[in-house]
Amino acid sequence: MKKIFGILGLFLAVFVFTALRNPQFVSAYNLENLIRWISLFGIISIGVSFVIITGGIDLSIGSLIGLTGSLMAWLLTHRGWSVPATLVTVLLLSLSVGLAHGLLITRLRLQPFVVTLCGLLLYRGIARFITDDQSQGFGNSHEGLRAIAIGKIPVGSSFSIPVPFFILLLIAIVSAVVLNRTIWGRYLLALGRNETAARYSGINTDRIKIAAYMLCSLLAGVGGILFSLDLNSVQPSGLGEFYELYAIAAAVLGGCSLRGGEGTILGVIIGTAVMRVLYNAINILSIPTHLEFAIIGAVILAGVVTDELAKRYAANRRAVRERLGETPAPSSS
Amino acid sequence: MKSFLRMGAAFLLTLTVLQIGCGDKSTPPATGADPGTGPKSGRKKIAYVTNGVDPFWNTAVAGVRAAEKEFGIDCEVLMPPKGLVDQKRMLESLLARGIDGIAISPVDAKNQVDLLNQAAARCPLITHDSDAPLSKRLCFVGMENYKAGRAAGRLVKEAIPAGGKVMLFVGRLEQLNSQQRRQGVIDELLDRPMQQSDSANFDPTGKVLSGAKYTILDTRTDNFDYARAKANAQDAMASNSDLACMVGLFAYNAPHCLEAAKEAGRLGKIKIVSFDEAAPVLQGIIDGHVYGTISQQPYFYGYHSVRLLHSLTKGDKSVLPPNGFLEVPIVEVRQKNAQTFWADLKKMQDMGK
Amino acid sequence: MVAPLHPVPKLLDVSGVSKRFPGVQALEDVQLTLSRGEVLAVIGENGAGKSTLMKILAGVETPDRGEIRIDGQLVSIADTGTAKKLGIALIHQELNLADNLDVASNIFLGREPHQWGFVDRHRLYSEAHVFLEQVGLNCSPRLLLSELPLGCRQLVEIARALSAQARILIMDEPTSSLSQGETEQLYSVVNDLRNRGVGIVYISHRLREVKQLADRVVVLRDGRNAGMLVQEQIAQDAMVSLMVGRALVRQVRTSQSDGAPLLEVQDLRTTAHPQQGLSFQVRVGEIVGLAGLVGAGRTELLQVLFGIDQAVSGTVRLGGQVLHLQSPGDAIAAGLALVPEDRKLQGVILEMSVGRNATLASLHRDARCGFLNTEQEMTQASMMTQQLRVKTPSIDHLVQYLSGGNQQKVVLAKWLALKPRVLLLDEPTRGIDVGAKQEIYRLMEELASQGIGILFVSSELDEILRMSDRALVMHQGRLAGVLDREQLSEESIMQLATGTPHQMATSVLQELL
Repeated sequence: MKKIFGILGLFLAVFVFTALRNPQFVSAYNLENLIRWISLFGIISIGVSFVIITGGIDLSIGSLIGLTGSLMAWLLTHRGWSVPATLVTVLLLSLSVGLAHGLLITRLRLQPFVVTLCGLLLYRGIARFITDDQSQGFGNSHEGLRAIAIGKIPVGSSFSIPVPFFILLLIAIVSAVVLNRTIWGRYLLALGRNETAARYSGINTDRIKIAAYMLCSLLAGVGGILFSLDLNSVQPSGLGEFYELYAIAAAVLGGCSLRGGEGTILGVIIGTAVMRVLYNAINILSIPTHLEFAIIGAVILAGVVTDELAKRYAANRRAVRERLGETPAPSSS
Repeated sequence: MKSFLRMGAAFLLTLTVLQIGCGDKSTPPATGADPGTGPKSGRKKIAYVTNGVDPFWNTAVAGVRAAEKEFGIDCEVLMPPKGLVDQKRMLESLLARGIDGIAISPVDAKNQVDLLNQAAARCPLITHDSDAPLSKRLCFVGMENYKAGRAAGRLVKEAIPAGGKVMLFVGRLEQLNSQQRRQGVIDELLDRPMQQSDSANFDPTGKVLSGAKYTILDTRTDNFDYARAKANAQDAMASNSDLACMVGLFAYNAPHCLEAAKEAGRLGKIKIVSFDEAAPVLQGIIDGHVYGTISQQPYFYGYHSVRLLHSLTKGDKSVLPPNGFLEVPIVEVRQKNAQTFWADLKKMQDMGK
Repeated sequence: MVAPLHPVPKLLDVSGVSKRFPGVQALEDVQLTLSRGEVLAVIGENGAGKSTLMKILAGVETPDRGEIRIDGQLVSIADTGTAKKLGIALIHQELNLADNLDVASNIFLGREPHQWGFVDRHRLYSEAHVFLEQVGLNCSPRLLLSELPLGCRQLVEIARALSAQARILIMDEPTSSLSQGETEQLYSVVNDLRNRGVGIVYISHRLREVKQLADRVVVLRDGRNAGMLVQEQIAQDAMVSLMVGRALVRQVRTSQSDGAPLLEVQDLRTTAHPQQGLSFQVRVGEIVGLAGLVGAGRTELLQVLFGIDQAVSGTVRLGGQVLHLQSPGDAIAAGLALVPEDRKLQGVILEMSVGRNATLASLHRDARCGFLNTEQEMTQASMMTQQLRVKTPSIDHLVQYLSGGNQQKVVLAKWLALKPRVLLLDEPTRGIDVGAKQEIYRLMEELASQGIGILFVSSELDEILRMSDRALVMHQGRLAGVLDREQLSEESIMQLATGTPHQMATSVLQELL
């Protein structure tokens, strides 16, 4: 819990700063938009955080979003598939992509970076090939289906909660329960810290890693579906580009260590929120768009540095306290 | 050793799959007049290079295909997905392989002069859509983006005669055509005199420009990320409750403005002016949700490019326009002519198939 | 201009060197001298302090007390750079070479002949050639190191030491990974170097080669000088008795075993030593020690039994049932448990709490439909930690803050929750202070009395003698012998572990008796 204080502070700082500079930032309309984008990016960030907890990485998320997003629109409009068949196909495809990643990484002992980097190229290429590089969209059809991305549920007179938020909520709760309340989650955290010791404890580490990659790809697939429904216009060559980096950045901001074994779902969501609020703030405050990368990079770096310094300060104080008080003797070896 | 064998088998399998993939890809129905048989020997082979992947270019390709049939020539269409770098790579491999003529829409005209001249030294080279006046291209097929911008500005004036706040949206501002369009809209709204297209002064970005009636708040870029394009439109509405009009300078911008306005429940209240002829925009014009759009008639970009190159490959230079500029007239689409325009467009696109 | 009255100072003179590590007195008042052109062998059991002494000479460690003189000059070897400048070179067990570079570049790594900042390639190769000749290696200096066989790489390392003007060469188990032919060549290089006046400190476990090479032998035991042998005194039995010392007063375990076989291993072959089939038994309630030198194949055996590595062939039975050991999960399900050698890497998860570590292996048993049974987990963790007397502020304390002994108890707690039938322990008391050692011994005895079969690897003779009902001794992958309680002695184990022929072993024993 302590680990997310830093990122929560950064989030509140950016939020309050922007709200003070332009009150429109906290208008119902803007908050609704913000919540929808946080939800969409949050879903894929939760996915990648599972892989990051194993000490791995998934660079193929953005391309998989591009593939699932354009494939769904293509199947529905060009192929005339039914909605359930399309959704099942797209989600099964995502799962099998994750399975393939997991098998290559655990059985062939390939590096996750390499496997998913190849995935990044492969899925983008397949998306463009299947759709013949044509933009896909739903036009005015499938309004009902699109409601799961753009719909909102009114609460009170002036505010509505976007539907994707509820999807995020469901996924987040399930993920948090899985991570903290099941043996699978415990094994995942254990193998992320020390895979050898986990294996020596009889844990089938390969199977758990494969499951983590499958979960990551599945959530990327869900993300792809939601993005394409939200945008109503999917460019196979463009949808999801760099989203893997947004997702990884959000997960790491939210307390996942790239070395593995660490991470909380709430932290990841707040990490995502920081990223989206920054993008939003740049527009709301009329900062020139060509400065946005510089600003986002600088704010995140400042946040991470502050957080690290605070942690060190705390660790030093604890060390001093322990040295003064009674402590177990250090191990000798 | 065993794992080596297994790796080898996996590698072979991958190769086979790729081969099958390539086999499929090598005979797409759109390659030539008679698919499957490949180019006939003796027929000239030219290339039509775009500046990216976009529905806009699909209409242009329809014109290319129509001209291909009409003039009996093979034209390869190349769409660089990643802008400048991909375009350079594609052009280089075309030259390396040998090609009889090239029509190109340069991504960055000023800085591609050397590359374009290299190409011009080997085969007839023309530009379309976006010009490179400093290069040795033989002619330019397109329109004046500045003029198109002014036309869009006039549409804005018609849409909100009482005046108000205007926000512009564009994919990238590095390109000359987007700069010129933007300037055209700005100059028209501020009632400035006409400028020369090639020597126009550009207003800096990030500054609010105010005239008698109209205020241009800013120009937001999205780097071709559609999610950003939509978020930009949403944020513009969020931060300016009195926003009167959104202008999308690229084909995909207005559709995302439309989506954002629809979700915000402000359809028809916020006016939208567009460029090009994306289907959602045309539907929006018919429904009254988009005020109008400026079509550059990309079909004719494709058609005339192939027509000119066809003659040039035969050494016939008489087809070149005197000042090296073949102007494709723009069409202003409003509610009253939208139905007909769309029907014609569909007809043209079908002709290309 | 008066001629010195005292004799020529020794090349190397170490006196009164002591070094203490937390919990261990590694060296205590150690003396050692070395003359020019002398081969001095330093021998002793594992943990006798040889490595620490060599590290001090090479500047890796600094002594707490004591003097080191070179040519009579008092020196202080603060770091490896100083050691090099003083002409001391350490040839390590694990080679310190870059195998992506060629031979000449390795010889001159960091000291390349250069001009204007560029490597003078001509001089590099011609000078490398000279040094290669000195070590009797006639290969091209342009050959990539990775293309050389292991033995030749050792010679390259020696050539590097010579090129750095080394006058004192420390060789740490140089033949441990060499073939017979390579070993012979190394001997002749050592003899050659001796003739040219280089002083050589030679560390080896192989008493036969010590006998063949050494001019003098210094024996260390428990960090102290145990004795010295010169020339004709150098004999295997003499060395063994010095290394082992007098028998210590120790509590001897009274055997509990009832004789029913529990774990039966038949003709088991590991990938590390596929040519040696291993067959043995562990009976119900029996504690079996597995002795041998480092690298004898003991850890590999335990890893196969625990399903971490797969056996090449052979069968393992537990209570008569043939086991299919494909993974640790299989082994655990069958009733085996392993306390691994590298506690921090394989045993515990340092950044997890004591409680979570202690329950890691038994979680699945207590889970309901995959959900953690948190209450049960907490109860069990506190129970196990109390039962094993793990000293920790709370079960939420991270394992990394515990002492080695308590970490080891956490590993034991993890397994005991599962009530295993056979417990495998690999160096269970390594790096653990004396008190915790006794507790672990007590635990092992308690578990054996409950009928658990215990097979433990130890490199400490004392431990094998104190704990074993029987001892298996391994030598170079082969089961060199099985010693019953009454046959157990330091001498008998050392003879088998160092590969001394059997008749010699008995004669040594007789001599000692």
